[in-house]
Amino acid sequence: MNKKPKFSFLLKKSAMGFLSLSPMIVGVVVLVAIIQSILTPEVMMRFFTNDPLTDTLKGALIGAVSAGNAIVSYLVGGELSDHGVSLFAVSAFLLSWVTLGIVQLPLEAKVLGIKFTVLRNILAFVFTIIIAVLTTLSVKFFS
Amino acid sequence: MKKFEFKGVKFFVAVLVLLAALYFYDRSCAIKALEKSGEVFSMLLPIFSVVIILMAVIGYFAKPMDILKHLGDESRSKSWFIAIVAGILSHGPMYAWYPLLEDMRKKGLRDGLVAAFFYARAVKLPLLPLMIDYFGVVFTVTLNLLILIASFFQGLLIEKLEKKRA
Repeated sequence: MNKKPKFSFLLKKSAMGFLSLSPMIVGVVVLVAIIQSILTPEVMMRFFTNDPLTDTLKGALIGAVSAGNAIVSYLVGGELSDHGVSLFAVSAFLLSWVTLGIVQLPLEAKVLGIKFTVLRNILAFVFTIIIAVLTTLSVKFFS
Repeated sequence: MKKFEFKGVKFFVAVLVLLAALYFYDRSCAIKALEKSGEVFSMLLPIFSVVIILMAVIGYFAKPMDILKHLGDESRSKSWFIAIVAGILSHGPMYAWYPLLEDMRKKGLRDGLVAAFFYARAVKLPLLPLMIDYFGVVFTVTLNLLILIASFFQGLLIEKLEKKRA
């Protein structure tokens, strides 16, 4: 019969699992910080042209490379909206910020497999565009 | 226990090279990036500690068969519900959850549920008041409802596509 492992053993095992991933995690954190310090809201604003279709795609792409805390995405999204960037783009930006992660792709692929990572990120991108469009249309309909 | 090995060392070195290049190109930008990294790490350490403890607790109390029962092929609607609620309640960055999910996948967690978990993480309960303040009630309610619906369909699509390819 299998003996139940000790809690201390399991704790050490999970800590070691995390430690083995530490170069990847540290790399992702530093890369995110580099991108955040280069891609300021002022720089982002230059990408938008007020065309709903291309702005939605651009919003999703910029959100996908700008990983970080969700609060930051709200602040940046609010700033973009205040500067006249369409809600299509802002919604896509907010959503892709938290659901997509181009920066963490290598880590996700290493841990969860390339096939799953590619499939998940493609679908997340498509759903992000659909949700951004539907949300903006709903806001326009109700207001 | 398996032989200990660091993963992603090449990636780490590549990021350091990029940081060094940025330092020579724009010193203040590189220093800002380093400061931001420090801030993120201080925010992440408590989250990592929680995830490490959570992994050990799950490993201690839940047997692989139990996880399979709830998140495997049986009780499908229940498994979607659990994955989506877990996604909503999870905190911290996505990559903090990779080791736990890797572990649970080995014990039978389906890929569709992992995808649903990831997408449902876009619903940030503590931040809802902030979102309402910035973008309004209609925007917040619609966006979050659509995220939940999309989480389920995304997971379902991943399972169907993976089955088709297998």
